[in-house]
Amino acid sequence: MNKWFKSGSPWIWLSAGGVSLSLISVLGLLWLIASRGLSYFWPAQIHQFDMLDEQGRSTRVIGEIYDRERIPAEQLIHRNIQLKDNQDMVERYLVKTGNRELVSLDFRWILVPQILSDENPADLVAIERRTNGNFYGYIEEVILDNYAVDIKKLPELVERAEIFQKQIDNLQKVDIGAINYQIERLRLKERKYKLDNELTAVKSKEIDNSVNALNQQYQKLETELMVLREKVSRDMIKVRAMDGQIVSINLENILRITFNNKMSFIEKLTMFFSQIGAFLSDDPREANTEGGVFPAIFGTVLMVLLMTVIVSPLGVVAAIYLHEYAGNNALTKLLRIAVINLAGVPSIVYGVFGLGFFVYMVGGSLDQLFYAETLPSPTFGTPGVMWSAITLAILTLPVVIVSTEEGLSRIPAAMRHGSLALGATKVETLWRIILPIASPAIMTGIILAIARAAGEVAPLMLVGVVKMAPNLPLDGNFPFLHLDRKFMHLGFHIYDVGFQSPNVEAARPLVYATAFLLVTIIVSLNITAVTIRNRLREKYRLLEY
Amino acid sequence: MISVSSNTFSDRDVKLDLANLSAEQTALDIKNLNLYYGDKQALQNITMSIPKGQVTAFIGPSGCGKSTLLRCINRMNDLVDICKISGEINLHGDNIYQRHVDVAALRRKVGMVFQRPNPFPKSIYENVVYGLRIGGENSRRILDEAAETALRSAALWNEVKDRLHESALGLSGGQQQRLVIARAIAIKPEVLLLDEPTSALDPISTLTIEELINDLKKQFTVVIVTHNMQQAARVSDQTAFMYMGDLIEYSDTNTLFTTPLKKKTEDYITGRYG
Repeated sequence: MNKWFKSGSPWIWLSAGGVSLSLISVLGLLWLIASRGLSYFWPAQIHQFDMLDEQGRSTRVIGEIYDRERIPAEQLIHRNIQLKDNQDMVERYLVKTGNRELVSLDFRWILVPQILSDENPADLVAIERRTNGNFYGYIEEVILDNYAVDIKKLPELVERAEIFQKQIDNLQKVDIGAINYQIERLRLKERKYKLDNELTAVKSKEIDNSVNALNQQYQKLETELMVLREKVSRDMIKVRAMDGQIVSINLENILRITFNNKMSFIEKLTMFFSQIGAFLSDDPREANTEGGVFPAIFGTVLMVLLMTVIVSPLGVVAAIYLHEYAGNNALTKLLRIAVINLAGVPSIVYGVFGLGFFVYMVGGSLDQLFYAETLPSPTFGTPGVMWSAITLAILTLPVVIVSTEEGLSRIPAAMRHGSLALGATKVETLWRIILPIASPAIMTGIILAIARAAGEVAPLMLVGVVKMAPNLPLDGNFPFLHLDRKFMHLGFHIYDVGFQSPNVEAARPLVYATAFLLVTIIVSLNITAVTIRNRLREKYRLLEY
Repeated sequence: MISVSSNTFSDRDVKLDLANLSAEQTALDIKNLNLYYGDKQALQNITMSIPKGQVTAFIGPSGCGKSTLLRCINRMNDLVDICKISGEINLHGDNIYQRHVDVAALRRKVGMVFQRPNPFPKSIYENVVYGLRIGGENSRRILDEAAETALRSAALWNEVKDRLHESALGLSGGQQQRLVIARAIAIKPEVLLLDEPTSALDPISTLTIEELINDLKKQFTVVIVTHNMQQAARVSDQTAFMYMGDLIEYSDTNTLFTTPLKKKTEDYITGRYG
């Protein structure tokens, strides 16, 4: 036994155990969010339950089984529900019944003992809609331009509506958006002239003319839009809900009609991936509880890239100064300790700092200097993507500085001496020899910075993230990249969907899906950075010194 | 006693009067050089003239200050914060320790090769032309020519001509050291300082480098530090023996090794200490 201890095996087992435990928890976490999140996209069976409730009435419930749990029977007795056989535990299902216009709650708990029959009729249909959530029922009639047609024409009609809907979206967002943007800019131009006392009659006329021209264009587009709207609202379907009511649904409101119970595995798989695709590329709907998360993905990635662009040069330059130029004295040591300790400051503090210093002070001054014409509505004096990137850059600065400095100190003196002895100045040596060799270490710093910044939410809530941003920070209107705009972020989206949404039950799978997506994005950003680092390492590999 | 008759490289027909070299004969003129590391004096009042176009060796036991003296010649000691220097080193009659001297320009005139080969993690070609690029040369043709000339002078061309654009770190230790020499001579310095250039190499590489040194002195003034007395005897024309920061004896190699004037020199070269 003693010998076994001396051999070091216990410690090896202990370390290996620690590693396995960490690995298992990471994998378990990933598995949980992946399975919960991804199952949301899998087309579920639609059940039709015939039930007999405690008062002896029979009801029909149609929907997807969303969750199941076991509850103690006592809980039911309190609610005066009597069950035939005396069980201790009773199973119940949470059924997503949709049909929000008919019932106030689109989720409903049903008790398994009350179920008389459970069927999956093949012609039950799930209709995904733009508003009011899903609808479940039987299609009674398809109406094309006031005439009933064969149900087989339905896919064609849905596709047609979708095409028009896309045109409408495009018209609204791109064309009309651009005109509004230009009119706003003209208005600001006029105001600027006025503020500078340069508004002459000629200029005023010019601006008025342009505005009028734009307004005419706008009118034209508006008419086009009306035509399209009319076209898209031509067709409708009549659907029989679970309580027998017939509901007409306009095709313009329909995203997808699926006969889940009829689908083969391949069809389900296709739909699974197309649902994921829609989740990744669509805008959110219904207060973020439905639809996609594209603006949030875009915002997260853009903000992290901006942050990287800001933090890398700043951190590298600071590290070079500390390591190469600052004298080796008490002040430098103090600075170094301060930098390291900056990494320990809670992130919300950076948020407060960013709001006070960047947004209000710097942004406010920028507005007064350059955007006086828009005041009192602020341009940069309000939270936005640029301030978020800068705040996170400050937050991750210590990481970059520390790892760059470490990289610089690992470079053998022989490299410097070799370069200096060839008549290179210190700057040339740094630029041509030292920095390339230190680049893998710099990349390590950037990787750590990205990993930290991409998951950070708290400071962003103060300096630029919003629940719903009407526009992306990047669009077709000059100057294309609008750094002053607010943006959406996956981390905040998770919080918002999960805890601020009006329909928590419906949003729960979205929380998992978004969390899984966030992890995926951070991992892929990191993998990219690690690949670059490995390339650099290979390139500037030093022999053993 | 070390045999000098086996000298295969140098011809020492012309004996120089080292104490009274004429200006044309002198490459470097060191006068009253004192060097302190903090409070510790590492060089004591060194005065010597190093003749042009010849190989001068500094020998002596470890810590005697021979490398320190060598590093004074291209001001590499400037990199040591606590180092203080008084006295003069004259290159073409100009003191390199004057205030206005451009150290980078000085180092282009006085090249240096270190104990251990230190090629940059770049291609062989980029290593050789590094000094030229620093000097602002960008013409591909001139760089190519200079690289070939330098590599030929360093007796490396035939071994690397087919893989100029591969990493220099793939070369053997001896090749790397010759590459570093090629890198130093590519910018055509006047003086080449070699700080124990073979101490990290195997005997065969050492022999190659020694042959190379003999060729190099046709173009450059070579100053070499070595603690291998046989090597000093083989490659150098002049030898300076240093001990505890003092220049004990300085004369032509033949004389120093056969009839040393000082007791300490004799003790050292006969292996009584060091």
